[in-house]
Parts: sequence; structure tokens; C-alpha cells
Amino acid sequence: MQSVQLTVNGVSTLESVEPRLNLADLLRERLGLTGTHLRCEQGACGACTLLIDGQPARSCITYAVLCEGAQITTIEGLEDDPVMVALRRAFTAEHGLQCGFCTPGMLITARDIVTRLPDADERRIRLELSGNLCRCTGYVGIVRAVRRVLEEHRAGHFVVAPSERRKLGPVGSGHAGLAAGDMPVSMAVPMGGDTPGTYGEVKLGLAGKKPNIEIRQSFVIARPQTRELR
Amino acid sequence: MKPARFEFVRARSLGEVATILRQASGSAKVIAGGQSLGPMLNLRLVRPSILVDITPIPELTRIEEDADGLVIGACITTSDIEDGRVRVDGLPILATVAAGIAYRAVRNRGTIGGSICHADPAGDWSPVLCALGAECIVTDGRQARRLPLEQFVASAFEVRLEAAELLQAIRIPRPSRSARCAYYKVCRKAGEFALASGAVLLDRERERFRAVIGATQGRPIVIDDARRLLGAVPQPGTPARLHEGATNELLQGAGLPLNGRLHATALARAAAQAMA
Amino acid sequence: MREARASAQGIGARLGRKEDDRLLRGRGQFVADIQLPAMKDVAFLRSPVAHARIRGISIPPAQRSSTFTAADLVGVRPIRAVSGLRGFKVSEQPPLATDKLRHVGELAAMCVGPTRAHAEDLAASVTLDLEELPAVYDMLEARKSSTVLVHEHWGDNVFLETFIDVDISKAFDAPIKVSREIRTARQCMAPIEGRGVVAFWDTRLEQLTVYSACQMPHIVRTGLSECLGLEEGQVRIIAPDVGGGFGYKGILLPEEICLGWLAMHCGHPVRWIEDRREHLIAGANCREHHYRITAYAERDGRLRGIDCEAAVDSGAYSSYPFSACLEAAQVASILPGPYDFPAYRCRTFSVATNKCPILPYRGVARTGVCFALELVLDAIAREAGIEPHEVRERNLVRPEQMPFDNITNKHFDSGDYPQSVRRAVAAIDLADIRNRQKRAQPHARLVGLGLATYCEQAAHGTSVYYGWGIPMVPGYEQASARLTPDGGLELRVGVHSHGQGLETTLAQVAHEILGIDIGRIKVVLGDTAVTPYSTGTWGSRSMVMAGGAVAAACREIAKRAAIIGARLLQTEPAQLSVRAGQVFGPQGAVSLAEIARAWYLRPQDLPDDVDPRGLETTIGYKPGRDSGTFSYATHAAMVAVDPETGEVEILRYVIVEDGGKLVNPMIVDGQIYGGFAQGVGTALYEEMPFDRSGQPLASTLADYLLPAATEVPALVIDHMETLAPYTEFGVKGIGEGGAIAPPAAIANAVNDALRPLGVELLVSPITPQRIVAAIGTARAFAKPGAD
Repeated sequence: MQSVQLTVNGVSTLESVEPRLNLADLLRERLGLTGTHLRCEQGACGACTLLIDGQPARSCITYAVLCEGAQITTIEGLEDDPVMVALRRAFTAEHGLQCGFCTPGMLITARDIVTRLPDADERRIRLELSGNLCRCTGYVGIVRAVRRVLEEHRAGHFVVAPSERRKLGPVGSGHAGLAAGDMPVSMAVPMGGDTPGTYGEVKLGLAGKKPNIEIRQSFVIARPQTRELR
Repeated sequence: MKPARFEFVRARSLGEVATILRQASGSAKVIAGGQSLGPMLNLRLVRPSILVDITPIPELTRIEEDADGLVIGACITTSDIEDGRVRVDGLPILATVAAGIAYRAVRNRGTIGGSICHADPAGDWSPVLCALGAECIVTDGRQARRLPLEQFVASAFEVRLEAAELLQAIRIPRPSRSARCAYYKVCRKAGEFALASGAVLLDRERERFRAVIGATQGRPIVIDDARRLLGAVPQPGTPARLHEGATNELLQGAGLPLNGRLHATALARAAAQAMA
Repeated sequence: MREARASAQGIGARLGRKEDDRLLRGRGQFVADIQLPAMKDVAFLRSPVAHARIRGISIPPAQRSSTFTAADLVGVRPIRAVSGLRGFKVSEQPPLATDKLRHVGELAAMCVGPTRAHAEDLAASVTLDLEELPAVYDMLEARKSSTVLVHEHWGDNVFLETFIDVDISKAFDAPIKVSREIRTARQCMAPIEGRGVVAFWDTRLEQLTVYSACQMPHIVRTGLSECLGLEEGQVRIIAPDVGGGFGYKGILLPEEICLGWLAMHCGHPVRWIEDRREHLIAGANCREHHYRITAYAERDGRLRGIDCEAAVDSGAYSSYPFSACLEAAQVASILPGPYDFPAYRCRTFSVATNKCPILPYRGVARTGVCFALELVLDAIAREAGIEPHEVRERNLVRPEQMPFDNITNKHFDSGDYPQSVRRAVAAIDLADIRNRQKRAQPHARLVGLGLATYCEQAAHGTSVYYGWGIPMVPGYEQASARLTPDGGLELRVGVHSHGQGLETTLAQVAHEILGIDIGRIKVVLGDTAVTPYSTGTWGSRSMVMAGGAVAAACREIAKRAAIIGARLLQTEPAQLSVRAGQVFGPQGAVSLAEIARAWYLRPQDLPDDVDPRGLETTIGYKPGRDSGTFSYATHAAMVAVDPETGEVEILRYVIVEDGGKLVNPMIVDGQIYGGFAQGVGTALYEEMPFDRSGQPLASTLADYLLPAATEVPALVIDHMETLAPYTEFGVKGIGEGGAIAPPAAIANAVNDALRPLGVELLVSPITPQRIVAAIGTARAFAKPGAD
């Protein structure tokens, strides 16, 4: 088992995982964030798309351990995001969803189009959407919804902070450049369930290497009665 | 579709990777973006005992430029190239090819080194980089060696890496200012792997006219002097005519029993773009 | 039949969907989202080969208590989906294979683990000792063989043969005779969400509770209880949010039986979520047809007769409830399409092969039938020297003939089929296309036009189905309606949404009758414990049947509310009308909320003649005639073909469709768009090929290509609206139509484009490789010696 620290929707979490656990399963099974959907586990269908360090990525072929220290944003974490608010309105008006299974991943990609490519035309929109499969809508309502939001964006209906992306390399990787012993002991805020109890054992030390010191901590967290997760 | 168990190690230096690879005697795999390896792990097509994360290694995201060429670290992602975070002066084809690979979410993690080492015969990078005369810089943690990309790729899904070696970077020679490089792929769906592809480098100043047939189900076929296939360097505007028979000969000569019709077309169209 | 006036929330309103809110926020609850305490994951060991005898299954001792085979499933019965049609041969599909494996992916063993990954580890350690047998992989070969048999006790590989002959010999002397051999590929339905099952034994309710991503919970309940030997009262099926179905989820799965058994045996909840590889390799397939078809016509293109021999590759087992014979038998009855001609003969074979069982996929046999017939009609047009639309206009049933009983006794209810052709041809701008064909096109591409017309039988009921003798015969569709004490409305129906927006559209129907605000109408679906019995959502039946039942139930509520309202308004019920959520009398009105309050909270205010059944009712409904509604459409496609690469681009696409009264036009358009996208997939991209050993070759999405936004062009839809004579509000079933005609229209367009090269393609999908090969062959044939 390996320890991985992630910031999920703004909340830091520390989980003990098998290296083979993918990010989608960690979010869905451990943290109750089931809005991100799993289907092909090959990176082809796009249903699992979420934001890692603010950029769209496939959570089905990204093992959680590879994202040590990264910022993960799921559909639940974009509840109040102005672009997402506009997209939700547009998707309903243009009937951009039917069964809803591809929708969270589709919205993440749609948001990326609006924020990264504000001048995209229909052809470009379709190209950028080609990595998100939908079997229900024929893409008509989706493309119309994205066009509508692009027009609203160009007309200044909402402000989007341009993402300053300078870091090279795979998004989500490269945060774990810390020497042994520097692993942060963040306050592990549990993200699911109502039962209080021992959170678990947290083992610190460099993954794979024999640490000089092994620190074990176990602590009880009184979980709040209501958790607004999403 | 969940992978078989593996251990996980984060390597922070080239030496560390090489040591781990050596000690694992072939049962370790390096991972960067995981966009090619992930699906194979999930399908249990590969079952390494250890996965080594190489993204912390600083050399692998390094870019070096000189007058002769560009060296791109193996962990540079496709979107780094697509977005221009990697300056590719004189090699605009790189950004164009990058934008046509898979999908944005995959490009944000998929690396150029990973793609080349995965060596899917229908991949986009190899034909184009071969046409440009790219070289692979391979390291065993102690020293590096260079070899042309078309030699690095041995066959489908196989590259020439010794047990403890790692692809560190790709070196791309910069062609002359007036050179044209074009890539044409026949594929059925946006972002998908090619059914047939062709890449052409036409550098009149240096009298280089190189062509590559890609998506051969084996290694890319490099034609160092494409005049053999396309005739004398044609004037701009002349449509390229490629002999299907000659293409078939090349494919069969390389042991690839394909009907060369689509490949002939892909190469001819790449040539036409380069000569336009 | 009632006319309905448009209102902001009633029939005809383009209302935004109620379902959207939770789905857009990622708060839907699909089966894989369900978390139960102590739940464990299940992985299956599936057959690696297409046909084998099982000599033994070895389980490492350490995992004996978490690994199960058929030997453990004592008392569990196999799946038997029998048809009453004469000659139908019965197959038994054990939930876990017993002595034989009959298709790649068949279930051989199951393992339970703390996570799916662990369960897969366990499955990987189980070994099968197999004696491999030759695989029956081609249905035409399979029909001929009596030595290699999928089911040994049959003597051959044919589930069912059907035959119909209506005066075919009278057509033989026709001046035009066109014969073709046409083939459509095997496909996977590939909804984005696959199957999934979560099962547990509820100790309080003493019943097996199964969450399943399915389209027909009540049918699954029946089948599951039969196979597990339980009373139906001991089984509860809950279909949660379902991510697409298209027919794929209209089946009793062996996995459902296995998980049900495990839940009872293990004493804790168990879960199986189908992954993409399981779906492509082992999940039900569809669409593989073969036709030898001959059409006879006069010189002016009028049809004299159609003669056909067709085969459907039905896979290894008859799936429940539709059975293996449905598709082939349907071919025989619907091949005549929307056309009127006097002679017909059709022989069909449902063939058993070593492939996974088939299910009816959106459009069912209509897609294949339309493909075969429409391609032949274009061939007739070419021989007769007339335009494709002329041959159709000459043969389509005319509006003045409606209602029309065709040569296979299909009762076409209403419509103007030729008008749909005329409008499609105008919209696609035929003259422009013909002009372009005379000129060279950019990049040397060739352009072409293709048409296809079809009619789609939907919501057909008892009178049609009983003759098939399959495990399911739809009858009266029931809906429950009740006013809540605060004047809201709850509807319960047995159909289930997998994207159609029934939570919204059925509320629109209720609003039409009662005028209650949509926001106060709750539609409950999917749970057998709280919904009335229904055969489920398939065959585009939900709005006709459940919509009709909802209307009937709401009218009954209105009637009873009026009795109470009359007392409160001191008048006679006959003086009252119900609308806008109120009961109106000559001198005032009272809201349904007040009436509800009287019934539930103030019974002292009730009249003596109050209906003691209260403000809650369950009513069954059937249309005036249950032979089905017939929506119809003409599709017109303009394509550009690159003869060097074989790439096809759809430049223009027009659909002129008539679905009767449209309850929510926005949702209807969405169904057409989605069906169209699937049709494009069938036409150009989707194919599950098998090799000689019966191995499915497209095991990942890199090989099985699904159309994305770049592959599905924009299209134009033009609506005609001819009311259905027998249904509520004149609605017709429309969900499948979009997927029926595109393969035919696109193939016809490609053939029109390639006609100068002497190419005619007769298979789907039309891939670049097939086009390039066909052009090469035609060239070699035309000019021997040339390259």
C-alpha cells in the first residue's frame, strides 16, 4: 500500500492505496464523488474526464499515486464555477444530454473549450469534443450548448481567469519532488460517510525506499454531521 | 479491467531509474503520463512487478536549442508541444502533428517519449520525426548514446532499449529555413491511429528529399531519397504521383504484406503538401 | 383520439427536462454509484474460446470459498427463452457454463473479492481444462453444417425457419429483375454505461433486492425469480438512472442470476459492473443479417414483387425475453417496408453460431431490412433509368389508401409517405447535386445522393405478440396516479427511462389533463416494489402506452376530484371542468390542493357520493387498436467520396419524419439526432468481426469505432405531423426511427457517387478499405492489364 496526498475540490486528503488504484476509483469508491464516471478504462470514451491541476485528464488511466500533491477538480467541485453554471443552463436549453452518463466528462471538456479556445468555431468545437463519446444525443445539442456559452463568453457575460500554465510534463505529476521526510502531514479531512472512528494509520516515508524513520500516526476525527461534498 | 498488482517507486534521477531497472531484471516498467501504458496495464497485457515514475527527473522535461537542432526531453507532453510551451522554431510541423494526436485530455499527460517507446506502428510521432531525421538519446544512467529514430524502433511495439536503459530525449535537426515538412494520415476518426500515413521532408537548400511510410503494422519505412519514388524533385504545384507498385515493393521488402494502395496515397498527399 | 392544444407545459411544449439538474451536477445515481456497507466486487472468468467442452475447472484451494462454478449453483435453472412459433428449437443457457462453452466470453466461474481488482486476481488464478471444438463462426456455413453443432441435440444450427409466399410466381415475368446479395455486419450496441448489478438480500423485507441497469425491471423480476426458484414477491428489481440502453439492457442476464445467487449465498451485498472489454466481447451483439433478395418491377419502376431469403446470426443462445427468433421472423414481416406491391416471398433463418446472443438493437430488423430493400430500389431506379425518388413515389402507400393493410397484414395507420419523399428531395436540393456530379469536384472527390424511406411499427401489443409465443406479451399498460395531500401529483409507471426523458414527458401528459405545474408532478419509475407491472421500455412504446395510461389515470383522478369539488362548490359534477390545477364551476373554482386536503385531512367536508377509491388510481390502457403505430420518414444524404482513400464525408443530411403528435418536440428531435448518430455508426464505422476460431476481433474502442462529434454531421429535420388514429393525443412511437434509414441512405449516396466507376457496395459498414478495394476491383475488371 502507498500513501497519496491529493487536494480534491479544494480539500486536502490523504489516502492509503494500492498503486494500481486509478484516480477515478479513488474518487468514486473512497471519497463518494461518483459524478466522475468510469467506462472504457482505456482513455477512449472520455466519461472519466476531470481536471488535474486545472487541465482535463483521463482519470481511468491515471493511477492515483502518480498524482501525488496534485489538485483534482471533479464535476462536483465546479458547482459554482461561472462557466459551468452557464454550461448547465445551455445544456438544458439545447437538450445536450439524455441519459447523462457521458455528461460530467463532456462538461469538463466543454469548459476547457470555452476557457482555452474562446474563438472556436463549430468545426473546432467538434474536434475538441471528439474525445468524449455520447451515444444518445448525436452531439447536436452539445455543440449548440457550447456555441451558446462561447457567445456569452465573448459577450463578456462572465469572467474567466486565464490559466497560467507554464509547467512542462504530464499534468498532475512532478509535485512529489520532495526529499525523504518532507512529506506533508496534512490534516486529513474525510470526505465521506457519517460514522466517526479511527481514520486509519498513516505511514510516512518515501515510497519504495526504506526510510530512516518510520512514523505511524493514528487519530480519531469527529466527522461533521453534514458534509457538503459537492 | 483492473491491472495486476505492482509496486510503485518514484525515481528522482537517471541513475536511480537505471539502478531500479537493472535490479528488476526486466520486470520493471517506467511510467510517465501513462496514456499508452495505462490501457495495457488495465487490460493485463503487461504485468510488471514494479512501476517506476520518471516524471520527477529534471532532465526529462528539459528543452535544449542550438543552431543545429532541438533536443526535447522524453517527458514533454503532446500538449506542451501543441500549445507552444516548447518553442519549435523552424519546426511548426511538430505543433500540427501534436494537435492531431488522440484527444486533449490524453495530450495533457501523454509524453513524446512514452509515445515513441510504446511504438504503436500507427502512431503519429515516429513517421514525422523519422522524416526529420530525428535521433534518440538513450541513457543507462551513466552514459548516453544516440541512434537514429528509425533504428530505435525495432518493430511493432518494440524499441531497442537494453534492460537498464531509458529514452532520455529526442534530438531533432533543424532543417533549412525554406524546408517543408508535411504529414498526411488516413484515419477513420479524428484523433485515432492511422490506417496509413506518409511524412515528407523537402529541403531544397540541402538537397534532402526524405519520405517515410507510416502505419505499416511494423516499423516506419524510411526512404532516404524519395526521388526514387516520386521522381525528380518536382516543381511546386505539380501533383505528386506515386507508383503503387513501388510502394508495395517497399512494404513487401520490409516483410509487411500490405496492399500499398492507401499508403501510396498517404505519401503522395504528404508530398503534395510539402511541394505546394 | 383527442386533439391537444399547445400549452407551456403540456403536450407539444419544448420543455427543458426535469432530469437534467441532477445529471448535470454529477448527482445522478447509476448502478455503479451505489455503495452498500460490506459490499464486495465480483469478477467473472469468461471463456477464452468460442466452442469447447469443459473437462474441468481448477480452483486454487486458498480461494475455494470465494470462487464459484456451476456446480455450486444447485437448484438454479438455466435461461430458456422459447418461442411458440412452429419449429423453434430451444436452447438452455446456464448462468455459469456446465459442460460446454458456446461463445467467447461465456461465464465459466465467478470470484468475489474486496475490490474488483482483487476479484480479477482471483479469476486469473482459476484454470479451465478445455477440449476445444471447431467454431461455428459464419451463419451461412452454419446453416449447411450438420456436424459442427452449437446445440448437439438439435441436428442443425437453425433456431427457426419461417416462410411466407404471397403469389410470388405472378411476378416472375416482370421486365425488370434485380438480384443482390447484401450483408450487414455484427455490431455492439455500446451505450456509454454498460450493464451493472448490485444485489443483496434484504432481511427486513425478506427479499432479494437487485439494482440493475435495465430497461424492463418487471420482466427481469419474473425471469430472475423463475431461474432462482423464488416467489416473485421475494424479488425486487430497481433500475436506477440508466445510461443508455437501445435494447442492450432489455434482457435477463446470466450475470443477474449469478449475483442474485451470490447475494443469498454470501450474505453480503455483491456488485458486478460490466467493463468495456466484457461489453465488446461477451455482451449481446446485434444486426448481423444476410439477404439474397430479388425485386421484380415494370419498366417504369413499379414493383411487381419481392423475393428474399434472409438469415440472421442469432448467436449461441436465445435471450430472454425476446428470444432468438424475433429478429429473423420480423425480417419476413417488415421487408416490404412502406411499399405497396402484389407479390412477396420470404424465407428466413435464425441461425445459431458460437457468438454471444443477439438482442434487438434500436430499429431491430428494420435497419437491415431498410438497407436491403432501399439498395435494391436504387438498383431498380438505375435499370429503369429514373431517379431514386421516382421509384419510391411510384411504390409508396399513398395517403388516400390509409389505413392500409399491406401484403404481410401490417395495418399502416396514417400518414403521407410520398410527401416525405418530395419534401426530402426538395430540402437536399437534388438539382444542385446532379449539377455538381457533372463537374469535377475539389480534391477529385465524387459526390452522390442517396434516399431511404421506411415506416416504423411501434407500441404494437397483444394481438401482434401473442402469436410469437415468447416469454413476454405486452397487454394493458398500467399507470398509477395519486394526488398528494398538498395537491401535488405522483405518477408511477412500469416503463423506464434510459435517456428518453420520461420524467418530463409523462409529466407533460399529466399536466395536459390536470393542469398541475410540472414542478409539482413526480414521476416514479424503475422500482418493481412501487411501480405497476409493465413489459418495460423497448420498441418505442413508452409514450404511446405509458402516456396513454397516465392520461387515463389522470382523467380518472379528475373525475373523482370533480365529485369532491362539486360538493365544495355546491354544484353538480357535470357543471365542472378541470384545468390549470383547479376545478372550475359556473360560480367559482377550487384548487386540486383544496380537494386533496378535503379527502386526506378533512373527510368531514366530503360529499356522501364521494368515490371511496379516493384520489389514487391504477389504470390499464391499450390503444383503440393495438396493431401498432406507424411513424415514418425519408432520409436524404449527400456525400463526398474520396476515391483514393475511401473516406466518406456526409455533406448534407435531411430527415423528413412524421411521428404523429409530438409531446415534447425537443426530446423527439434529440431521439432522432441520437438515432441518426447510431445510424452513421452502422453505415460507416461499426463492425465486430470474428475470425475462424470464433474470436471477436474488436475488443477495444480503438478497434470498435464509435462516432464522435467529428463523425456525426449536422443535419436538418423537417417534421410532418399526421395524428395517429388509435392513440391518446394522436402520438406515435418515434424513438428508433433515426437509426433505421441512415445506412441505406448513406450507402445509396456512396453508390450514386461511385456509379461512374462501376462500383456498387452491398455491405455495411462502408469502410474506406472496402471502397478502395471495390474501386480497385472495378478498375481491374474494366481495363485488364492496367494498374
